[in-house]
Amino acid sequence: MAEITTQDLGSIDFAVREHRSLWKDAWRRLISNRTARIGMFIIVLFVASAVFAHYFWDYDPKTDLDYTLKLKPPTLIPNEDVPSVHIFGTDKLGRDIFTRVVHGGWNSLRVGLVAVTISVVIGVLLGLLAGFYESMKITPLERIMLMGLIGLVLGLLPAWIATQWFQAVLFAILGVVSVLWENLLAGKPARIMLFAVVGTIIGASALALGVYYGIACGVCGLVIGAILSQPLGGKTFSNITMRVMDILLAFPGYLLAIAIVAFLGPGLEKGMIAIGVVGIPIYARLARSSVLSVSQTEYVLAAQAVGEGHDRIIFRHIFPNILSPIIVQSTLGLGAAILSAAALGFLGLGAIPPEPEWGAMLGDSYKYLASGAWWAVVFPGIAIMLAVLGFNLLGDGLRDALDPKLRI
Amino acid sequence: MTGYILRRLISIVPTLLGVTFVIFMFTRLIPGDPAVAMLGEHATQENVERIREQFGLNRPLLLDRAALQQGDWRGFFNTQYILYLGRLLRLDLGSSIHRRIPVAETLAERFPATIELALVAMLIGVLVGVPVGIASAARRNSALDSTTMIGSLIGVSVPIFWLGIMEIMIFSVYLQWLPSGGRLSSNVEITSITNLYLVDSLITGNIPGFIDALQHIILPAIALATIPMAVTARMTRSSMLDVLQEDYIRTAHAKGLMERVVLFRHALKNAFLPIITIIGIQAGTLLAGAVLTETIFSWPGIGKWVYDSILARDYPIVQGGTLLIAFIFIFFSLLVDISYAYLDPRIHYD
Repeated sequence: MAEITTQDLGSIDFAVREHRSLWKDAWRRLISNRTARIGMFIIVLFVASAVFAHYFWDYDPKTDLDYTLKLKPPTLIPNEDVPSVHIFGTDKLGRDIFTRVVHGGWNSLRVGLVAVTISVVIGVLLGLLAGFYESMKITPLERIMLMGLIGLVLGLLPAWIATQWFQAVLFAILGVVSVLWENLLAGKPARIMLFAVVGTIIGASALALGVYYGIACGVCGLVIGAILSQPLGGKTFSNITMRVMDILLAFPGYLLAIAIVAFLGPGLEKGMIAIGVVGIPIYARLARSSVLSVSQTEYVLAAQAVGEGHDRIIFRHIFPNILSPIIVQSTLGLGAAILSAAALGFLGLGAIPPEPEWGAMLGDSYKYLASGAWWAVVFPGIAIMLAVLGFNLLGDGLRDALDPKLRI
Repeated sequence: MTGYILRRLISIVPTLLGVTFVIFMFTRLIPGDPAVAMLGEHATQENVERIREQFGLNRPLLLDRAALQQGDWRGFFNTQYILYLGRLLRLDLGSSIHRRIPVAETLAERFPATIELALVAMLIGVLVGVPVGIASAARRNSALDSTTMIGSLIGVSVPIFWLGIMEIMIFSVYLQWLPSGGRLSSNVEITSITNLYLVDSLITGNIPGFIDALQHIILPAIALATIPMAVTARMTRSSMLDVLQEDYIRTAHAKGLMERVVLFRHALKNAFLPIITIIGIQAGTLLAGAVLTETIFSWPGIGKWVYDSILARDYPIVQGGTLLIAFIFIFFSLLVDISYAYLDPRIHYD
């Protein structure tokens, strides 16, 4: 047995050992997961074909029709009846279904991506702020801004009634004063009285316009003053945000999207916005609850203890740590958004024909089922299902990869 | 407890108000004049004015500043939104533009059809989803388990309208086993009591009627049930897996209890809370799914009516239907929250 010399030891360089980040670990877990790999494969296939079709395969849906080839079944070998190859058959206008499924992918994926981006950006930002200010002590400067804002927004009502916009500014100042003079009669009924009286006086400045204006605005001012006298903090902000989210959540599934588009009129862009808006509360709630749990951890307390600013705590310490549930949810959300877009298209509220879109293709063709044209319905449907399944598989895999504790 | 329920009831008031406001604002989303939208492009100026007067469309949206000048307090609040709220309190949802019938009346008339469909779908979802979830949790990583997981993923990925179409294609067009749409064959009659045909036919002992109603409901109910089924199965499985790792389960096994007893007495009881939640949430989602399912199967419920009205641009119906579904959904969430208090003695509400 050879002896180990110091020279041998020196040749083992410990520093060369590969650096492993958490994200790299997660990626490794992800690609070792079979379902996630299948999901990624499906997504790559769809994205690649959609991008290819959009940039390298010219297709004009307006001129694409051929009545001699109406509702032909799939043909792989050209014959005298069908002189061209249609592997998915043709639809009621003689259009090749394969071409339209591939081009439709671009529209469906685009709707999903834009809609989810809208929901994630707005939802996560709202949830992040709501969760942060619910769990953290709000700084005096932020309180001044918050109370000023509450005063301004509430003050808009009497200001609008009296068309005296300076009233809103005065109420904003009243809100700021309430923060600066926090100790003034703190916790005593007299404080509410004082602020209510000041509010009434501000509102009653509308007397210049008429007695009744004065009364209406005075009553508003009374209520606003009483509200501003309270020590409102981050909890109030969080509560207001989440109540607004509750209203959006009160519409089940894509009902709100259907309703919005029903009133706005059909169109792909309107569909994107509608589906995006509907998704906001999901991300807001998710982000808020994640922030609430993260903000109790030692590293956030430590960051506070060394006196880091709130913006730095939010974006350096909290945001990266709530990212995994959001990534998982947005992947699953992409599938759901594609499904909603297809539902809108099916109901005739999505893409405007002749634009190819999977849901709209189904809606166009399902009336011809009785005449046996199954191919016009089966293939677009399989496309939707596979695309959504791809995102769901990947989302499931991501959940396992990003949070090994939560293996369900 | 009573205090909690009361507070929870009060807390939904702002949500309800917000929902009415959102739905009210929809009328503002319609491009152009709502009165013209109601009457069509060729309406005379006179008729447009009359409709505006009748629906208060000439009033301001939220508050009337001009009325304040004269000290007219009634006029101050006599605005479109407040008039709308007042009508809602009297259960007046306006009337259909094209057929001039009250929306609330027709909604009430069509509601049982939707409820019946949703109930049967829910029943299928729970009766299949829960046992499958339990079984796959009990035999984790078995063939049954992976089939359940993949099956449930496919279940949530399938567009239900496409599934409905496929069902019609296979069972109605090719095999001709089941009818492709409607609620009842034209030659069958059922005495209406609750207007849930399955229940009515059973009460009156009308067996052929029951079978016919069942044949009509089975396809749409299965289409509507796929998502709740998949979601319930997944939730049951993961909730059971959580509980099965607990110490008392090991103790129960160690005591030599039968597997069945451990699973149902010890595990399921404690795993039920998240399952109830997910079922409650799905109940509301079913109503939204009804718009698509009813459309495909020509099911004479609210969903199909709303869809037809979207195409006909009959906005009061769309508003009324959306409002009803949203209110039911809020009610279900409330029910889930309250049932928590009963089911989980660990949760204290003060």
